[in-house]
Amino acid sequence: MNYIYIWKEIRHHRHRTLVNVLGIAVGIALFVSINAVSDAYQKAISLPFKNIGADIVVQRAEKRSLDAAQAPASMRGIRLPFSNQILSSQDMEKLKTISGIDAMATSLLLWEFEKGGFKTIMGVDLTAPSLGPIKVKDWLAQGRFPAKTGEAVLEKHFAKFHKVKLKDTIMIGGHSFNVVGLLEIKEGSQVASANIYLPLADAQSLLAGTTGNINTVYLHMKNPAQIDEIKRQISKTLSGITVTSSDSFLELMGGMSQISSQFSLVVSLVALAGAFFLIIKTMIGNLVERSREIGILKAVGWTNSDVQKQLMGETFLQSVMGGVAGIAAGYLISYLLGYLSIPVSTPWELNLTPAFAKDAATAVKTIRLPVSFSAGLMAAALVLSLFAGGLASYFMGRRMSKMKPVDILRRL
Amino acid sequence: MNNGDILMGVNLSKKYSNLEVVKDVSLNVKEGEFVSLVGKSGCGKTTLLSLLSGLEKPTKGQVTLNSKDITGATEEELALFRREYVGFIFQSFNLIPTLSAWENVALPLFPIKMSNDQRRKRAIELLEQMEMGPRIEHLPAALSGGEKQRVAIARALANHPKIVFADEPTGNLDSATGDAIMAILSELHKKQGMTMLMVTHEPELAKTADRVIRMQDGEVMK
Ligand SMILES: Nc1ncnc2c1ncn2[C@@H]1O[C@H](COP(=O)(O)OP(=O)(O)OP(=O)(O)O)[C@@H](O)[C@H]1O
Ligand SMILES: [Mg+2]
Repeated sequence: MNYIYIWKEIRHHRHRTLVNVLGIAVGIALFVSINAVSDAYQKAISLPFKNIGADIVVQRAEKRSLDAAQAPASMRGIRLPFSNQILSSQDMEKLKTISGIDAMATSLLLWEFEKGGFKTIMGVDLTAPSLGPIKVKDWLAQGRFPAKTGEAVLEKHFAKFHKVKLKDTIMIGGHSFNVVGLLEIKEGSQVASANIYLPLADAQSLLAGTTGNINTVYLHMKNPAQIDEIKRQISKTLSGITVTSSDSFLELMGGMSQISSQFSLVVSLVALAGAFFLIIKTMIGNLVERSREIGILKAVGWTNSDVQKQLMGETFLQSVMGGVAGIAAGYLISYLLGYLSIPVSTPWELNLTPAFAKDAATAVKTIRLPVSFSAGLMAAALVLSLFAGGLASYFMGRRMSKMKPVDILRRL
Repeated sequence: MNNGDILMGVNLSKKYSNLEVVKDVSLNVKEGEFVSLVGKSGCGKTTLLSLLSGLEKPTKGQVTLNSKDITGATEEELALFRREYVGFIFQSFNLIPTLSAWENVALPLFPIKMSNDQRRKRAIELLEQMEMGPRIEHLPAALSGGEKQRVAIARALANHPKIVFADEPTGNLDSATGDAIMAILSELHKKQGMTMLMVTHEPELAKTADRVIRMQDGEVMK
């Protein structure tokens, strides 16, 4: 193979090279960005559950609650959210019989209604520190997490709005609590985003006349592939229960998120095939323009395979350049799309604020697309661009072998 | 059979669809001989040259070059054969525009296993012989017609051919430049004993050769 000649052809016909390289680059960039963004959507949707370390959330909703979208005027004080009624100890016993569950955590979610509005209060299980809303512990902005009874952590924005500072006291359900910490809710964590966090026992004691109650259970699976199967089992074993997982977010969203990753792979491959088709067409067009040159090579004793090696060298170089440029452009596009925030609507059962709250924005949280750069995708893109080069050389070779050296004799 | 003939064409015919362009031509060239082929435009000179040089296959007849019968050879075999034994000079030079003078001269050597330094050395040696020493790095576009043809002659010699085929080598040049090119070819024949078959339609140029063969309507005149 002759590197001088390959390089000179590539460099000298700058326009030709640019068109070929750009063509491959556009195809590869489409492939990379479609797949990267589709992956990011899938990831964005799994974020709310991932952030609390749970695969499944189990709740019991009040039967008539679905139409209770207006606030009863008489509501005052501490009460249970419509979607989070008490899960009985029998419910818990039944849950424990289901196999495939790796870890289980509980919480008690309460609403307190006052004159001017409401508070959401989350009693968290301090004994399961890597599952459920206790995960907010990692997002402390100031102070510490409650260690004993009578201590509370406030969500930062809530605290600011109510002008509560660290070490202040706050009244909850008629009891006073010391504010020992402030925290900031991480993006995409609406499933755990309350105004106030208390130790579970303190929250339980706010519910007058009862003890030891919980109203949400968080489950972590041994094998994530079993989520659907276990969801089905739970619904069968416990009647009147709500079982949610990441899929519940997926169902609420339209557009890109409903496009499965397989489908986007197909779409991107079709885009790629279109780009490749055009590029191969252009390359063969270039070759026809070069038929005189090919004739000269053959006349001076180059065999078809000598010429084929030359063409392969040229296309290889161009497809590597196109591939690398395409990967760079694809990731740049994905990176820029990563600045976009996509709206993620929270399913009703998982929305911690009252559905009738004026603050409607709390139900639709935006998440910045978590675009990541996967080595697998990059490798696939490079392989595909080389494949395009191979395909082009194959068709060019077929065309080239039909060119006759004698034709140059009659050309001026 | 071998009485000093390096090239033998026997009863050669070439048909393009119904049109018979070369009709039953027999022609021999001796080793070291300079033969010119003359005739009116369209009489079949170029076609005959392409048959004799293994660029194209005859419809009928037989070609023997350097004791090898190339009649039944495949396209790939013909390419290897040309690489080894044949040099070409064309009317329109046929240089590769992206390659420098020396790279054009080395073009027939590219598929041969040898180092780039060796190729370059051989090319420069030939270019110097053509008095093109100072222009080895120039692209064809920067060369005059006469200079291009000198590069082309050097290329024809790069592989140490047994025979050089030239199709109107001065056809694109003014008469003074053409004469200079003819002088080079003539010297090549006289001093290096190069065997040559040259097509021309100028009787004056044909006289430079040892022997002149005339063609008319696809046939060789006796
Ligand atoms: N590929 C082809 N298909 C059909 N006819 C052809 C083909 N090549 C050549 N011819 C015809 O064959 C005849 C001889 O052509 P050729 O090129 O051999 O003539 P020539 O003697 O070299 O002419 P000139 O002096 O003009 O170069 C011409 O009539 C030409 O039109
Ligand atoms: Mg001719």
